[in-house]
Amino acid sequence: MADEKEQELLDRFRYAVLLEAVRCLDEGISSAREIDIAMRAGAGLPEGPLAAADKTGLDVVLRRLEELEQRWGDRFTPPGRLRELVGAGRTGVAAGRGFLEY
Amino acid sequence: MYVFKAAVLGAGTMGAEIAQVISLSGLPVILKDVDEKQIERGMKHIRGIYARRVQRGRMTEREAEDHMALVTGQLDYQGFSDVDLAIEAVPEKLDLKRAVLQEVEGNLPRTALIATNTSALPVSEIAKGLAKPSRFLGLHFFFPASVMRLVEVIGGEATDEETTDSGVEFVEGIRRIPVRVKECPGFLVNRVLMAGLAEVFRAELDLGLEPSRIDAAVAASGLAPMGPYALADALGLDIAQEVSETLRAAYGDRFDLGGRIAGLIAEGKRGAKSGAGFYTYTG
Repeated sequence: MADEKEQELLDRFRYAVLLEAVRCLDEGISSAREIDIAMRAGAGLPEGPLAAADKTGLDVVLRRLEELEQRWGDRFTPPGRLRELVGAGRTGVAAGRGFLEY
Repeated sequence: MYVFKAAVLGAGTMGAEIAQVISLSGLPVILKDVDEKQIERGMKHIRGIYARRVQRGRMTEREAEDHMALVTGQLDYQGFSDVDLAIEAVPEKLDLKRAVLQEVEGNLPRTALIATNTSALPVSEIAKGLAKPSRFLGLHFFFPASVMRLVEVIGGEATDEETTDSGVEFVEGIRRIPVRVKECPGFLVNRVLMAGLAEVFRAELDLGLEPSRIDAAVAASGLAPMGPYALADALGLDIAQEVSETLRAAYGDRFDLGGRIAGLIAEGKRGAKSGAGFYTYTG
């Protein structure tokens, strides 16, 4: 089991990757589905960052990003798209829709 | 457009890897370089990949020979008159890439496609000087291409949709996974990955954690197949540095590696391929 420091590091890695993936999505670089495929096939990640966030629950992701933003600054500011999804009840796998559809 | 014959320009490790992937799919491929020694090294590299496939029982010796026979290493443009796709894989220098591409364009049929395997330079910039930039695209293979399944298919400003469509079909034909990516600095995978890597380097300092402990934690968490330091070593620290500089210039300090890699490169440690990086490698 990861200790507190390790957990903090894992979150920072995971959310830095997720936020960059969401920026790419916002800029129309690729679709959500293709971003996840690319990160699996090109970087060997076992799960795409967007699907992983959907699985965690976007409401949980949003709260954690707000904490990270407070502690480490703007680079963790939750993206508008994430707030909209959570506001619309599209909180991920459990809701049937998040960044992706289920 | 269907590709019946391909050429790879630049017989370095990446060029050789790409030529191997193409030959494995059954297509003839020319591996061209300006240096005879480099061609020999490239051909040897490809033979090595096939020999390992034979050792692992994934093909017979005869099959390996048949595939190997599809690769022609050469210095000149002989046989380029029926090449449908030329992929450039020379060092990441804009002037060099442009010169190589302009020269090859004059030796290809008018209908041929030309691609760059750049990971750091803008496709639209490399295209400048080509007579037909509409038939030019980015095909970004990942290292090592013989293992990595993904190819980013990138259209530049002047690229035709038909050209990117053909690029996607070609990638599927050589049994790789194409993902269409709109042109942007770093493209998709390296951009997203380097954002994570830069954050890990910052966290290492903030939290006072050892790289080996970080790698163990990341691997154990199931977030990534290996830790970020091992991954950077596998990617090549020089490549990571080059890509991160492009990204930092384009998007700002979230891509700052904090000099974490620069020091190692200065000591000649360029990752697994050089025998040392964050870790030491033998054999």
